[in-house]
Amino acid sequence: MMIETVKLTKSFKGKNVVDEINFYIDEGESVGLLGPNGAGKSTTISVISSLIKPSAGDVKLYGKSIIKNPAAIRKILGIVPQEIALYEELSAYENLKFFGEIYKVKRSVLEERIQEILDMVGLRERQKELVKTFSGGMKRRVNIGAALLHRPKIIILDEPTVGIDPQSRNHILETVQKLNKENGTTILYTSHYMEEVEQLCKRVYIMDHGKIVASGSKTELLNILSSEDTIKIHLNETSDDILKKIQQIESVRHVDETDDGIRIISKKGNNILSSLIHTVESQGAEITNYQIETPSLEDVFLHLTGRTLRD
Amino acid sequence: MFSFLKKDLLVLWRDRKEVLIALFAPILLVVILNFAFSDIGVDDPKNIDLSVAIVMEDDAEASMQQIEATIQSAPLSDNEQQTLLETAHAIVPSDLLFELFLDDSDLSQWISAERLTASAAAEKMENGDLDAIVHIPAGFNYDVLMQLLLGEVTDTRVKLQIEEHSLQTDILYDIMDNYLNGLNLHLALDHLAEGNIEGAMLPTGGRELLNDEVEPYPYTFAQYFTMALSTLFALFIASTIASKTATEKRQRVINRIIITNTRPVSFLFGKVTATFFFTLLQLLFVCVIVHLALGIFAGKSIEFWFITVLIITFFSLTVAGLSAMFTSLMLRMNSINLATGIFTMIIMLLGTLGGSFFPIGEMSPFMQSLVEWTPNGITTSLFIEALQYGTDAPLLAAFSKQFLLFILFLLIGIFLFPERREV
Ligand SMILES: Nc1ncnc2c1ncn2[C@@H]1O[C@H](COP(=O)(O)OP(=O)(O)O)[C@@H](O)[C@H]1O
Ligand SMILES: [Mg+2]
Repeated sequence: MMIETVKLTKSFKGKNVVDEINFYIDEGESVGLLGPNGAGKSTTISVISSLIKPSAGDVKLYGKSIIKNPAAIRKILGIVPQEIALYEELSAYENLKFFGEIYKVKRSVLEERIQEILDMVGLRERQKELVKTFSGGMKRRVNIGAALLHRPKIIILDEPTVGIDPQSRNHILETVQKLNKENGTTILYTSHYMEEVEQLCKRVYIMDHGKIVASGSKTELLNILSSEDTIKIHLNETSDDILKKIQQIESVRHVDETDDGIRIISKKGNNILSSLIHTVESQGAEITNYQIETPSLEDVFLHLTGRTLRD
Repeated sequence: MFSFLKKDLLVLWRDRKEVLIALFAPILLVVILNFAFSDIGVDDPKNIDLSVAIVMEDDAEASMQQIEATIQSAPLSDNEQQTLLETAHAIVPSDLLFELFLDDSDLSQWISAERLTASAAAEKMENGDLDAIVHIPAGFNYDVLMQLLLGEVTDTRVKLQIEEHSLQTDILYDIMDNYLNGLNLHLALDHLAEGNIEGAMLPTGGRELLNDEVEPYPYTFAQYFTMALSTLFALFIASTIASKTATEKRQRVINRIIITNTRPVSFLFGKVTATFFFTLLQLLFVCVIVHLALGIFAGKSIEFWFITVLIITFFSLTVAGLSAMFTSLMLRMNSINLATGIFTMIIMLLGTLGGSFFPIGEMSPFMQSLVEWTPNGITTSLFIEALQYGTDAPLLAAFSKQFLLFILFLLIGIFLFPERREV
């Protein structure tokens, strides 16, 4: 086990923002931390990276607490903070050079490494330009680059793709994947986009309200839903009344209206379809389209917390 | 360490406008002030004339005889008595005062002074023909000489009666104040030069800081405020540099820096060194440009310039220390605005205590002793003393103080530097 948290707790003004969480990361693993805004992901990361002290509990690196001795984790950790942490008045190159120097990367290799990183994040051509002139996506890419200079054994990325263009996003995801697969770098990837976590991570922790509500590989998590079906229906007309009536069907766990139709989660096995048809028709409407969905992590989250990741 | 300096200088360089403003603001102000004060009369003496009456209530001759008798009866060797007698006749205090008003060519350009009796002066004042009366009290010469030569503490005060307060009468006040201070200083030095008078004979309290704003001789008002103002401006550099830290905080780079295991000194080193060079540059700029443009230091020796560079160097060191303290405070405090506010208050306090706003002579003794520990106060008074005495000014003592302050501020900075971000 590389990193382990033991009943890690952090409170602000008496409120537990991170609440007794236990998790671990093995060397070379790629682990996702999934949860909606405000779940406590960034706070957890700040504690792990020794930027703030926990209120209770412990963080262990190879079995040794880092609370008293933060130097150990700082040496092997690269952190990509949620907020861009760069000198706006300096160029991309100058930023990387400065951070490389203070990470004490040897002068003889620094130059080469900077160019390598600039290639990796696709900014070699624009390295001389000031960061403040960059788009959000480009800043995010430099932000990642600045965490790679000292070749960290573990990289923690805190929502590195928030608010950027799809092209930059793909670039970032590819970079992270490459780091993990080719360099064997351990990854902790935080996001509230479950597609990203699904794509990148072998193992996922789902966090909500400061607690870990579920964990495991993707299949393990999806098994949580093995007793449920997700059904999507389209109606010729909808109303709140219809939704309410559907909710009242005995085997239905959850109903909500999405961009494409009404989503229904129900217990497996019951003959839900006939009940649905009956209910809808009794309200004078008609089902125009019907499909049973393969569940996603999003659905798992919905199941566990009763809300969606983007709430 | 040098990575931080490089980065700090680069960031400053990218912000050239602010840097240039910081460099030129004091120059501009000194030049403007210089012209403002020129208007009072140095350029055009006819524009101003302050009529002052000097009322001599002391019988100088009797006072001198009395002091002779006192010296002769003092338990001193003949040699010592002889020196004292000569000194007494060389510096008859009331004569010096008359010289100041009646003969000094600079002053007589804009002050017309005359000797009058008390009643004549009062009448003239009543008619509005006088701006001020200088009363020299009975026993003045005796008292002053007793104090100067024999260390007897007396309570003699020249009275300045002013008809209506104005900038000009304020200047007159300062001249008087300075004259009295100057008497102490000159004499103290004479004694030291002669070498055969014991230290116990120096006037009680010894040297006093000279901080008054007008001194036709040996230093000029312009020379004074050049240093008083530019040291004040220089203090703001510490705050400016610390506010760059606010940007680092806002841009979160400080978090990145903290988790690289960077030692506080390295981070502060950049700030301190940048501040040092910047302050040095600013003050040298001010002195040189002000001199080239206005000839403020005309006729000064190479030696004087050398001392000035030294004084500025040590002062810059102290400001640099201050920037370390401000930087750590900035990192610790949640509100950037509050932090900046506190820095400004500290600087204004130092400015006030250091005599950048009003003469120190009017403060309580306790406050005056604080003055001697403000970076700008030490610098300004040392500079004034250097103007007057060259290498005889107490350079070493002042430099040690500055250096001590630098170390103190730096240590506070290092101590306060957050190892983790406090939340
Ligand atoms: N410094 C702080 N002081 C007080 N509350 C905070 C602080 N930082 C975070 N919080 C609160 O803690 C909760 C979790 O925040 P965060 O860890 O940023 O969540 P996430 O990264 O999952 O969006 C939020 O409710 C947030 O308001
Ligand atoms: Mg967050």
